[in-house]
Amino acid sequence: MNMMQVMQSVVWAVLLWPCLVSLGVPLECKDEQGSIILCASISKEKLLDRVIQHAELIYRVSEESCTLFEEMFVPFPMRSQRNQAGYTCATKAFPIPGSKSEIQQISDKWLLHSVLILVQSWIEPLVYLQTTLDRYDDAPDTLLKKTKWVSEKLLSLEQGVVVLIRKMLDDDMLTNSYYEQGVAPYALQPEVLESVLRDYTLLSCFKKDAHKMETFLKLLKCRQTDKYSCFLH
Amino acid sequence: MAAPSFLLLFPLGLLSAVRSASLMDPGSMTSSDPSVQAPHLTGCKSREQETFRCWWSPGSFQNLTEPGALQIQYWKKNDLTKEWKECPDYSSSVKNECFFNKNNTVIWIKYCVRLHSESQNKTYDTLCFELQDIVHPDPPVALNWTLLNISRSGLNYDIMASWEPPPSADVSVGWLTLVYEVQYRRRNSSHWKVLEHEFGTQQSIYGLQTGEAYEVRVHCAMRAFNNFGEFSDVIFVHVPEIPNKESTFPVTLVLIFGAVGVAILLMLIIFSQQQRLMVILLPPVPAPKIKGIDPALLKKGKLDELNFILSGAGMGALHSYPPDLYQDVPWVEFIELDADEPEPGEKDNQSSDSQRLLGHNNHHTNHGCFHGLSIPEDDSGRASSYDPELPDQETLMLMAALLSCQPNKVEPCLGNCSHSSTPSLDVLEVPCPGLQAPDLPPEGGERHLVQTQLGGPQSWVNMDFYAQVSDVTPTGGVVLSPGQQVGAPENTPTTEKYKKGKMEGGEEESEEEEDRRTNKLKFQLLVVAPEAGGYTTESSSRQMSTPDPSSPGEVYHTFPPPSAESKPHQEAYLPATTLLGDYQSPYILPDSPPAQFLPPVSDYTVVQDVDFQHSLLLNPPSPQRSPNCSPQPPSKPLPVMPIGYLTPDLLGNLSP
Repeated sequence: MNMMQVMQSVVWAVLLWPCLVSLGVPLECKDEQGSIILCASISKEKLLDRVIQHAELIYRVSEESCTLFEEMFVPFPMRSQRNQAGYTCATKAFPIPGSKSEIQQISDKWLLHSVLILVQSWIEPLVYLQTTLDRYDDAPDTLLKKTKWVSEKLLSLEQGVVVLIRKMLDDDMLTNSYYEQGVAPYALQPEVLESVLRDYTLLSCFKKDAHKMETFLKLLKCRQTDKYSCFLH
Repeated sequence: MAAPSFLLLFPLGLLSAVRSASLMDPGSMTSSDPSVQAPHLTGCKSREQETFRCWWSPGSFQNLTEPGALQIQYWKKNDLTKEWKECPDYSSSVKNECFFNKNNTVIWIKYCVRLHSESQNKTYDTLCFELQDIVHPDPPVALNWTLLNISRSGLNYDIMASWEPPPSADVSVGWLTLVYEVQYRRRNSSHWKVLEHEFGTQQSIYGLQTGEAYEVRVHCAMRAFNNFGEFSDVIFVHVPEIPNKESTFPVTLVLIFGAVGVAILLMLIIFSQQQRLMVILLPPVPAPKIKGIDPALLKKGKLDELNFILSGAGMGALHSYPPDLYQDVPWVEFIELDADEPEPGEKDNQSSDSQRLLGHNNHHTNHGCFHGLSIPEDDSGRASSYDPELPDQETLMLMAALLSCQPNKVEPCLGNCSHSSTPSLDVLEVPCPGLQAPDLPPEGGERHLVQTQLGGPQSWVNMDFYAQVSDVTPTGGVVLSPGQQVGAPENTPTTEKYKKGKMEGGEEESEEEEDRRTNKLKFQLLVVAPEAGGYTTESSSRQMSTPDPSSPGEVYHTFPPPSAESKPHQEAYLPATTLLGDYQSPYILPDSPPAQFLPPVSDYTVVQDVDFQHSLLLNPPSPQRSPNCSPQPPSKPLPVMPIGYLTPDLLGNLSP
């Protein structure tokens, strides 16, 4: 299953590469006032599709990274997250509804903004994670590559979500980070001194948040296509 | 690094007993008695990521089996109070199950569920999880299959299996993203073949066999979670065989007939060409043969007779080869010079034997350096290496031949050569110092056979026995120059003389020789030792690898011819100058040859003796040699025959 996932992620990465170009173009076009230069534009639906693809890929790669890390560095008794009552992910500045029904009732705007906040909150920790992983003696190359890839794709995802917000919500906002946070937010757990567990927690929490992003975006998509049925479920 | 962290975290755990949801054995709090099992949580699962259920087992504790004795309590991370709450809904239908409905289910938030006994105020088990991690989707529904195609042979077919996602999973909304896994097997087999799942709700199965019944099932899981749910119902796939046996029948028949035909053909070929095949596969081995001599004599044990014959006493066999034959120089043919030796001028029909020698240098076919044999050989297997052609040419002649030979083929005739007092026919093989790598071609002038003929009367003393080796080619061939008159004996100056000539790279050769001194070079020296009554050939071989630097080098000694004969003066000298670095002199004039010896050509030296190391001494240290060295001692007047030969057996007696 992992092989398939990797291959699909590679395929999607190749597919999404032009998406990055197209994501950047609308920004430029909008900035230019009164220019007759034609910009390549992308429809909302397509953009949303691509953003969802991004999110799915990121989630998959994060899950693989978490598994890799778990296999390599985490001792067996502490493997499963279910055993860890102690570790916790950093709470966000805003509450995210937990139940499906609640989430379904969330507005589009909220969904998009929460996705954006999530994405932005993870950019720095992932960079930090990369530096810590480099310090590991026997970190597998694939793990390093995956984390690197994820942090890169996260930036693209952020761009895409920003454009989406602009397009869907007609919300012309500055691309400032809502979520200002220092490096290593997950060092908030003072009990976890070992870097291994800290990094493991980091990866697990990121995996969870990636799942959130993907779910939000998919819910959003469902609403775009068929608002009625989506809300009813 | 992980161990201390484990110790660190363990006391920090909020709950006393922690175990994974589906792994470790229950009853961690009980004694080691296997029959007693403590109450424990068996697991929590969600079907659609909106609700979930937890099950427990009371274990074997009798007092806890009543309902209500054990409770499920839980708390969520986002609870405002850190209190354990009771299970919201104990299932009425299923025993020991706690159901969390939609309102009590949140995602992405940690749950902790514990099995607690209120009466005893004791927690038996705890489980912590998040909703998305315990999702095991329901099985897909509506599994069906359609035939894609059947192979041309009618033996295999492909199908496309399709299904629908479980209705409970909200895939359309995007709440769940499912992946599917299809498994199939033959009806009677017990092993399910698993297919890599493709996207979507259909999967193609290839390579099924007609006539066989198959079972297909599918299950699904949340993507990237690997928690597969239960399997769907099994469907049966069966495609009847298409009766198409006629097509296979002729094929097998044709194959059988073809194989039989080929076998018959082969047999016919073998039987018809039996003789030729035998020759090809098992070529006949040439038997030793000397013309005029019964091959039986050449076998072991017939030494005396052979000696007798060859010595010429019994002239019967050899009678056909009078020394006059030497005029025709048949023996010259045995001498093969290096093909590179351009001595065409030498090949003129000069009366000089050496010319003849030179002229016939290319006629001989080389059979490789074979060990020189003396006829009376009984103690080595040299007979087998007899050149079949040699017996045809029995001449008495001792020629210095050193030509490049395959050293590894040469067996030193060290001390093994039997010799008799009578001249014997020797086939001497002069190995050349391995100027080249051992992969020298055996033929083509790389080998030179020198055949000596003994016992020749003096009739051939008139002939020019000797040819001066003027040079040695890089390949080890000997360049002979016309025989010269006997001059004053000289030692060193003559060495230079022999360095001239067509020695391309002679200098290098000498260096090469020096380098190759340690190589396994063997060569045999043809030593002519005066012997009373005739020539005795003396052959000695010495390995190049063993010569002492202190030894006088591979010196060829040539015995001066007897008094009357000036010519028959054999020189055997190696182009040692080129071969050995420290070769003193390729030839040394005999110091003590009797006066009756006509002084040979100044370039030639007569071998006086052979020392214990089988080196030829031109100036023997002392006359007392092995007493058997009768033909040897320089003090001994040389016989009439110009050259005294030491038979191998004589030589053998010489060496200690």
